[in-house]
Amino acid sequence: MNKDVRILAIETSCDETSMAVVKNGKTVEALTISTQMKTHANFGGVVPEIASRMHTESITLVLEETLNKFPGSIDDIDAIAVTYAPGLLGSLLVGVECAKTLSLVYNKPLIAVNHTMGHIYANNIEHQITYPTLALIVSGGHTDLLVLKSETDMEILGSTIDDSVGEVFDKVARVLKMSYPGGPNIEKAALKGEDTYKLPSPMQDDTYNFSFSGLKSFVINLVHNETVKGNEIRVNDLAHSFQKTAIDELTRKVELALKNTGIKNMILAGGVSANQTLREEINKVCQKYNVTFHVPNILYCTDNAAMIGCAAYPLYKSQKFADFTLNAKSNENIKSYIENNK
Amino acid sequence: MNTLFIDTHADFIFLGIYKDNQLINKVEVFEKKDHSTICMPSLVKLLSDSRLTIQEIDDVIVVIGPGSFTGVRIGVTIAKVLAYTLNIPIRTITSLELYTKKVAEGYLVLEEKNGYYVAKKEREKLSGYEYIKKSEWEEWSKTKVIEFCKEIDYNHLATYSHKKEPTMSHIVNPFYVKKIEVEK
Repeated sequence: MNKDVRILAIETSCDETSMAVVKNGKTVEALTISTQMKTHANFGGVVPEIASRMHTESITLVLEETLNKFPGSIDDIDAIAVTYAPGLLGSLLVGVECAKTLSLVYNKPLIAVNHTMGHIYANNIEHQITYPTLALIVSGGHTDLLVLKSETDMEILGSTIDDSVGEVFDKVARVLKMSYPGGPNIEKAALKGEDTYKLPSPMQDDTYNFSFSGLKSFVINLVHNETVKGNEIRVNDLAHSFQKTAIDELTRKVELALKNTGIKNMILAGGVSANQTLREEINKVCQKYNVTFHVPNILYCTDNAAMIGCAAYPLYKSQKFADFTLNAKSNENIKSYIENNK
Repeated sequence: MNTLFIDTHADFIFLGIYKDNQLINKVEVFEKKDHSTICMPSLVKLLSDSRLTIQEIDDVIVVIGPGSFTGVRIGVTIAKVLAYTLNIPIRTITSLELYTKKVAEGYLVLEEKNGYYVAKKEREKLSGYEYIKKSEWEEWSKTKVIEFCKEIDYNHLATYSHKKEPTMSHIVNPFYVKKIEVEK
């Protein structure tokens, strides 16, 4: 019988300082998430320098809390994993340096994890990813449609050619004067509204790419023009129409991919997958094509270290360890990650 | 007693091992940007050159700034995680304190790209840390006795730092001094 593998994982790519211990890439044995959201809400968005400062302040506290929650001891840990990309450079560096120090002190191998891979592997916590599977990654930094052929083999079908869907949710929330973070507030307003605004559909094409900047600009211009004219904006209705248009586009491309590839498994990942309407719409398409659909619990959709521990497990099995020259990379997206790891 | 000294506040990295306050080994790397790729490999080299394991380090001293925000954070993160996991004492020293040895009473000044970090030296102690922008420098410095920070003599710094009380790793944080845009 194979020995259990326990990975201590660290995630500091944006505004959450998080650590976790994950067994065999699946079982979360300890998890701490210290969020800075309230601080950044004062500024209407994440201030990178403040995020880095808060990570430095809380790093050993989060470590202590995580080790206290973990029923085993440090001797039971097999490796230290850390998010090195993508994200805010100064924030990533705090996690990376902490991970290297732990690796040195405890003499455990270091594993460098791409944050987006973490979002994908979060799906292993409550279910087990069945290959091949179609994966839609939606977050503040990403909108990607991928085919996961196996644990180590994946192919990008399409990505956003401009803004990510999460970014556009946040921008539209801002122009509608909603507080940060915008995404959940758009969703709440949308539930109270109706689809009464006619908005342009993004990319009317048959590629798997996405484009959201046109929709974003249209909504921003509409709000400005109506304000200038002294007309009232029906905020809930506009939120509803905007969300519907964005989700329709995501759903349409997912349907296209399911139809063309014949893949019978579908997962959703990333911060925006916390959106209930998106979950329901993707679920409907999956039912139509008799596809098994999974999405992580909301706790594991937003940034957390447990998902980093899950994504580190296949790297541990293939002994893909990092050395102490590991640096943070703010811009490494999933496309360049896949290219670099072929 | 083996003391590890970590200084990453400027465009170089200094790591030193002191045995009973005597500097026995050091690594100095001049590098503007890549503190992250250099710092930990340098520490590993320093330990191996000194024939020590990290477990044989008895206490840590770290420079908390002011200086490069990212540089200081790298040194401070390593130092506080080391002190916490090894359960050893940690002491902090400011970047301006690195230069105090030869300076008489007056203002000690550390120049950086767009301004100056200053502190007043009185009875061997520094206080009143401030950041003065280059545009305000002439006016500010007109009436004061000032001395610029030049070379650091690391030899005495373990002795100097050990006069301080150790602190808790959880509360060790960079000392930024300079305000950022949103704080103004």
